[in-house]
Amino acid sequence: MPPAADVGRGAAAVSLDEREPPLRNGLPASPKGVDAHASAPFAGSGRVGAVWRRRLTILAFLSPALVLYLALVLAPIAQGAFYSGFDWNGLEPLEKFVGLQNYRDALADPVFLASLRHVFLIVVLSLALQLPFALGLAVLLNQRLHGRAVLRLLFFLPFVLSDVIAAIVWRLLLMPAGLLDGSLEAVGLGGLIQQWLSDPDIIMYTVFFVVTWKYFGFHMILYLAGLQQIPPELEEAAAIDGASRAQSFRYVTLPLLAPTIRMSAFLSIIGSLQLFDLVWVMTNKGGPVGSAHTTVTYMLDHGFERGQFGYGSAVAVIAFVISFVFAIGYQRFVLRRDVAGALTTAGA
Amino acid sequence: MHFRKGWAAAMSLMLLAVACGGDDDSDTSADTESGSGSDEPVTIEWWHIQNNDPGLSMWEDVAHEFEADHPNVSIDITVYENEAFKTAIAPRLQAGDPPDLFQSWGGGGLVEQVDADLVQDISDDVAPWIDNLNPAAVELYQVDGVQYGIPFDLGMVGFWYNRDLFEQAGIDEPPTTWDELLDDVQTLKDAGITPIALGEGDQWPGMFWWAYLALRSGGPEPLQDAGEDGSFDSDAFVQAGERLQELVELEPFQDGWQAAVWDGAGGQAASMGTGGAAMMLMGQWAPGTMNANSPDGNGIGEALGWFPFPEVEGGDGEATDVFGGGNGFAVGKDAPPEAIEFLEYATSLDVANRWGELNSGILPVTAGSDESITDPTLQGVLEARADASYVQLYLDQAYDPELGAVINEAVEQLYAGQASGEEVAQTIADAAGG
Amino acid sequence: MAATVVRSSRRSMRQPLTRSALYAIAIGVVLVIIVPVIYAVLGGFRTTGQISADPVGLPHPWVFDNYIEIIKSATFREQLLNSLVVAAITMAVVVPCGSLAAFALARFSFAGREAVYALFTLGLLFPLTVAILPLFITLRSLDLLNNPFGVALPQAAFAMPTTIIVLRPFFHSIPTELEEAAIMDGCGPFRFFYKIALPMSRPILATVSVLAIVVSWNAFLLPLVVLNDPHQWTLPLGVTNFSTQYSSDTARILAFTSLSMVPALVFYVFAERQIVSGLASGALKG
Repeated sequence: MPPAADVGRGAAAVSLDEREPPLRNGLPASPKGVDAHASAPFAGSGRVGAVWRRRLTILAFLSPALVLYLALVLAPIAQGAFYSGFDWNGLEPLEKFVGLQNYRDALADPVFLASLRHVFLIVVLSLALQLPFALGLAVLLNQRLHGRAVLRLLFFLPFVLSDVIAAIVWRLLLMPAGLLDGSLEAVGLGGLIQQWLSDPDIIMYTVFFVVTWKYFGFHMILYLAGLQQIPPELEEAAAIDGASRAQSFRYVTLPLLAPTIRMSAFLSIIGSLQLFDLVWVMTNKGGPVGSAHTTVTYMLDHGFERGQFGYGSAVAVIAFVISFVFAIGYQRFVLRRDVAGALTTAGA
Repeated sequence: MHFRKGWAAAMSLMLLAVACGGDDDSDTSADTESGSGSDEPVTIEWWHIQNNDPGLSMWEDVAHEFEADHPNVSIDITVYENEAFKTAIAPRLQAGDPPDLFQSWGGGGLVEQVDADLVQDISDDVAPWIDNLNPAAVELYQVDGVQYGIPFDLGMVGFWYNRDLFEQAGIDEPPTTWDELLDDVQTLKDAGITPIALGEGDQWPGMFWWAYLALRSGGPEPLQDAGEDGSFDSDAFVQAGERLQELVELEPFQDGWQAAVWDGAGGQAASMGTGGAAMMLMGQWAPGTMNANSPDGNGIGEALGWFPFPEVEGGDGEATDVFGGGNGFAVGKDAPPEAIEFLEYATSLDVANRWGELNSGILPVTAGSDESITDPTLQGVLEARADASYVQLYLDQAYDPELGAVINEAVEQLYAGQASGEEVAQTIADAAGG
Repeated sequence: MAATVVRSSRRSMRQPLTRSALYAIAIGVVLVIIVPVIYAVLGGFRTTGQISADPVGLPHPWVFDNYIEIIKSATFREQLLNSLVVAAITMAVVVPCGSLAAFALARFSFAGREAVYALFTLGLLFPLTVAILPLFITLRSLDLLNNPFGVALPQAAFAMPTTIIVLRPFFHSIPTELEEAAIMDGCGPFRFFYKIALPMSRPILATVSVLAIVVSWNAFLLPLVVLNDPHQWTLPLGVTNFSTQYSSDTARILAFTSLSMVPALVFYVFAERQIVSGLASGALKG
């Protein structure tokens, strides 16, 4: 019998990391009195040979992904970050070390700071408007409606299109006297017409609209899946107890949907921080006087396209640090209860 | 390529050793860099950006013809669209492995490449035939007097206008001074016609106005000096900004101009091409793009006219000072001598005439090729080019890419009413370290 | 656990008014989605000049040249094939590597496990554009330029974070009893993975494959930098052929992008069932 079978004889589930409580199936031991000695079959045993074999096994599982990832993602990124300490035009040898100067310059540049504000705006608007909208549609699709499957197909459609295509098409639609303006005129709402892509004051809202158009279907699908996990008996019970639909939604559905919502919010925020292709193509590299820059478009426009590779890398590092701090904080405090996906095990 | 050169060198030596009095008039003298005599197979890697017809086929034909004449040479063409080219070549340059011949606009970009040792000094090799080419164009591909590339096209920026619309507004002659231009703008507005088409979304169309005003206000010296010492806050530039502000305050542009691009549906070219605006300031490629953006492909047809940038009263510049630029090829540091021979062929009178006959946006620079261009408006451009007392390269190419971008942006702010002429000049001067 | 049973509506009684309001909203959203796509498709039947002169109008006259030229062109078919090859390789690399890693991260406990997981999630936070120059040099030294693998491998690498994040919770949720039973039968971890865990995860693997393919299909920057030889180009690179130094042919660009959409859409329609069931069955369980 393979050595792992010995484990089934009651050997302690050894955790190789002393900080962690013993794990069962990779999940922390449930407080419901699971025998800590009942072992997870692959969690290891006390025998040295078996430990080494286990380590090799883990390594074997992890290495294809790790090798690929380290060589083609982390190493280039680390090198890219390394450039941030230099003043470098991409052609000459890497000689002009400037330390933190690039970072100081970036944080002093009003256009960069504006780009941070723009991204923040998208994040807030997405959380406040896009996600509830997606949730509403998910609830809609959860009803028994004719053509529900078709609707589901259509709502997800924009997500499948490339950002570039979406940007090209919307740019045409939003032209002065373009399709949007024409439609508004046709229904008598001509007074609402704005310079959607030329007016620095509203261009970011236009961007938000198109971002919503592109991505709401993705979040809707997530919520739909979550809704479908909820047993109808719970809602029926609430109804019997006299709860209105709104109350039932608020006190029964929403809490059960919470893990899904938290994950969706996380992905939405990370996605907003990385927003690039759509904005680049639709606003022609950041809009008039940079009124639509995101951190990534700014990085490309003010950094790489000007032969300022050190500066561009510094901007990327700043954006990364912001994303990272957010991700850690979010994982720790918000997703804490959702073990799947925890970056830290504190309190898990 | 290095591999091939080493192999070629070895082969030449062996051939020499073995040859028993054969007909050997090939140049096997120590051409160490490339190490290949005229018998050894040579590949030339060539990157250009004429990615559509007629240019695409033209270059293909030229390459085939050269290959036919030089059987040991094979030319490997890679074609990119303009923007894609800039992105695609960056890693090659960064890795120190430039193509043998590649698109170049001269100016600041070339300077950077020279500093990074990416291009070859071809001054001696081209000396026998370089005088056949327009000297102003040739100079664009020199750095400190050393030749690193060869031009095949030089154009300039001027006004393209719709004769019919001018007539409609009662304007008989195109303006010859800046004040006349402002008056005409007002006249056109009063007649209900959009005076000027501008695609400020791309930034560089707006920069043309400012650059010309600077050139007219101060002549060539301030622009040259500023390139050296960053003195963009001198009078010429401040005045350029102030005069431009006068124009912008008249609100002469089409709807949505701030985000409009040069080309594509709804852009500047489309505005002109569909008769939506009376005039625009643009380079010699304008007619082609206008036509492409018009419903029947003919633009505004016979109604199209051209006039040079007007004088500015009290300015030091001449009306014959010209703002423009062109296309050429830089020679990569590892390029074989055959690549330079190819350039000679590509800019020969015969090829230049064929380019001219296409009446496309390419205006060849080979002496004697002017007659091959039959389009009357392009002829107007050619005359101005021939009379040019000075050619100033597009600012975002003349200076290094970063400064060019700062200029474009600062000027954009002026258009947006967010900066005054003086502030614009100051911003640029600060960025240039002046 | 995986229950994809469609839930029936919560209330059997519904006001007809509310129902029509719901339909109205749904139709409204559908219009906003569909109209841009139709506009793009129709735009391909016009000329750029038509679009400039009358942005809103229908094709008049109908111009079939754009679509026909593209469909006829060998270049389009070549690029289509290249896109397919790259997407297929990307998927073929991401799914095995990603699922192996996610499985290990889900079912083994070992020192630094969460750190490894965190390492993978870092990749989400960096845009590819930063890494492109060093990546190019690495690919060059591996002689992977002008090679579909030169595009597919980095794409697979950058897809690892999402893949692992989506797969790990799913592997978590496979019941212990199954594992224990497998061990009783003398099954080691590899065989358990291969014979039991993988087949169980088909829906979620389908999801991950679709995500990888969609991203690969639409990728532009990486192929641009890696593939110099036009015969190796993928579809997004092909669009650039319709712009030149001085002009862009908007109508033809629309025709081209509409045609490039088709394979992605067809694939999506078939895979949509898989995606929904995949997401429902485990990725989002708390």
